[in-house]
Amino acid sequence: MGTRHQPGHLPKRQSLLGLWLLLSGISLFGGAAFALWLDSLFHPTGLARLALWLGCFSGGGTIFLVGLLLERQLFTPLRHLQVQLARLVANPDARDDYPPEGWLRGLGPDLVRVREAWRADRRALATAHTEGARSAVRIRLELESLLQVLDTPLLLCDQHRRLLLFNHAAETLFEGHPCLGLGKRLESLIDTASLTDALARLPSDGAPRELLVPFDDRWLCCVLRRVPQSDGETLLTLTDTTASLTGDLGNRVALAKRLPALRRHSAGLASAAEALTRLDDASLDTALHRRLTRVIGEESDALGRELEAFGQCVDELQQQGERLVPIWSNDLWQTLNERIAGSSGVGHVTPIGMPAWLKGDACALLAMLETLIQHLIEALPADRKRLPLEGEICLGNKRVYLDLVWRGVPLAQHALSDWQETRLASLPLAPSIGDMLNHHGSELWSLADGDGEHARLRLPLPALERVGAPPPAKPARPEFHDFGIADLPPPDAELAVRPLRALEIVSFDTETTGLELRRDDTVVSLGACRIVNARLLANDTFDQRVDPGRPIPPASTAIHGLTDADVAGAPPLNVVLPRFRRYVGDAVLLAHNAAFDLLAIQPPGASEAFSMPVLDTLLLSRALDSGLDGHDLDTLASRFDLSIAEGARHTALGDARLTAKLWLALLPRLEARGIVTLEDALQLQAGAFDREDASA
Amino acid sequence: MARVLVVDDEPNIVLSLEFLMQQAGFEVVTADDGESALQSVADAMPDLLLLDISLPGISGFEVLERLRAQSAYAELPIIMLTAHGREVEREKGLALGADDYITKPFSTQALVDKVQALLDEAG
Repeated sequence: MGTRHQPGHLPKRQSLLGLWLLLSGISLFGGAAFALWLDSLFHPTGLARLALWLGCFSGGGTIFLVGLLLERQLFTPLRHLQVQLARLVANPDARDDYPPEGWLRGLGPDLVRVREAWRADRRALATAHTEGARSAVRIRLELESLLQVLDTPLLLCDQHRRLLLFNHAAETLFEGHPCLGLGKRLESLIDTASLTDALARLPSDGAPRELLVPFDDRWLCCVLRRVPQSDGETLLTLTDTTASLTGDLGNRVALAKRLPALRRHSAGLASAAEALTRLDDASLDTALHRRLTRVIGEESDALGRELEAFGQCVDELQQQGERLVPIWSNDLWQTLNERIAGSSGVGHVTPIGMPAWLKGDACALLAMLETLIQHLIEALPADRKRLPLEGEICLGNKRVYLDLVWRGVPLAQHALSDWQETRLASLPLAPSIGDMLNHHGSELWSLADGDGEHARLRLPLPALERVGAPPPAKPARPEFHDFGIADLPPPDAELAVRPLRALEIVSFDTETTGLELRRDDTVVSLGACRIVNARLLANDTFDQRVDPGRPIPPASTAIHGLTDADVAGAPPLNVVLPRFRRYVGDAVLLAHNAAFDLLAIQPPGASEAFSMPVLDTLLLSRALDSGLDGHDLDTLASRFDLSIAEGARHTALGDARLTAKLWLALLPRLEARGIVTLEDALQLQAGAFDREDASA
Repeated sequence: MARVLVVDDEPNIVLSLEFLMQQAGFEVVTADDGESALQSVADAMPDLLLLDISLPGISGFEVLERLRAQSAYAELPIIMLTAHGREVEREKGLALGADDYITKPFSTQALVDKVQALLDEAG
């Protein structure tokens, strides 16, 4: 076995110790043999004998003592210095430095000087950046927040059609789509020849081009603009036109189609009736008379059917009008209460039951409800006027019912008919309540509740095929943009020569039932996070518990804290793996001691292949600091002073994040050694792997 | 002979309905607004009511509501007639207690069948 000694590296401590003990041993043994020989040859006595023995042992003794001295005063301090320098480069802001020892003690002030100077420079740079770019940052933040609140979905792509920016509306539009992510290709999101073609022909002066692209079962109206004075970046704004297309277009086409049929049947009816009137008495009850009568009957029936279909089209057109938008009922009640709080005599509507989505013209609906509530309060007997009203949304088949509920009896139809005449002065053209009911394809009626104590005013409204509450608001400044992506090499260039800094990396970690993956141990939790442009994305994570299909041994629970109850109901590994594969996408994988985690996510018979390059921080750390012991995640975290949230250690996501941080700490040290491409890094870690194998 | 009260303010429709109902073997009474319809019902209760929604004065819905409010007329079969034919109106009619609902224009045979079915049910 040949321990390959890399030039420029401190030899391993064990090698030095071995060499030293070997030399000392040989010298002492040789000295002893030589002394015995001399002793038997000259038979010295007294002082001479002592001198002879001492002289013979002096060589070995010197080697032993010098070795001890060198280890204490030079080699150990050198190793500590190596750790210090590594830490200084990996994490310049790490605290808890310890001064050089032994013969290197004199370097202490110099080292402090270097470190302080570097920190001061970094601080100065940071301050300069903060101060100099403060206004720029502020403007950028304002622009970003502006983009985020825009209702129109926005995508910005670089010249290679990679996503540089998307806003919240785009996130909502492509909700759950695995290919909406910074640096991902536009084609993986919207794949149409027409879009590719339009992008290729886009004028550079920023003139817009519009096209309609299919997305799932929807149609998106896409407006493309090349951003002027940019590196060929393109801004896309999207509008979901499905509703207006299927609605307007569909209904218009249907209406247009029905009209000729109506004309035809109407003409048939009119001419038959006309003919019938001209028949003289003699012709009554003849074959002609019977035929004409039959024609009238048939045409009337057909006319009736066509009119019914025609009416349905008109109804739908009315309901799909552009001003009927999705409304979450809780939002409606809240706004209504804010409105009626201002007007006197009207209290408050307490929403009861389950909230739901409905479709309506929000302004008109609010004005109408406010007026209806005023009428309602007036209509209630004096002792009931102060009682709170309740609002409930009831679900029907095609409609939702917006009900106002009060304690008492139902309202009479004639009252409601009168109310429908009321004009809503706050709306343009002051339409009547009846007009607004028509606008919503609605009616108004009152009914008694089953409990015999309450009554309600019912307003049916078009329902929406949407379930569940609106998604919670996103944190204030999520990472929706990265203009650095535009500086990445073209995506078709070789991945191998891509700079490490430009890699898209997914750092992952698994927690398992035990270490015997080749036997029956398996994954209980899988966590991952993404690094783009040497930046760890805070929100882009994968965190999934996995049902291992077997009990978790207490010894493993002691490490990761997951019990059988924690994973009950979680999907099994064969369901999680395809999701994880989609999450990884085109990224390079990263793990600490990757061999284990790779084995964990590729159990025998797995359908998902993870064939992308894999970086291993354990191997890279060994290759960088072969002279140092301890390359486990804990030791490295403390060596480079990498912090992680309390309690996140030994969770899959926590360790994946720590591994990502470790990678980012190793990155400048790799670059300092000329290891700048993926190919270089893979080669370096392969070397470390060989060495480990050889010495194992 | 079953007696049907036809309430509609369009004389043309009333004329035809009257004729058709008589042909089908019913005795027909007519009213051209809500008030007279209620009066007619109060004078002599018919076996069935054909009630148009849009009437001058009080609407068909209101006539329906007033009739249903009195226990004597709770079981009286009532078919609503409308020229609007919106589904939500049909729902409102049924919610207020109508037995059936017919949209204009209607097939005469379908109307006669519905009347017959309701009378059989009530009878």
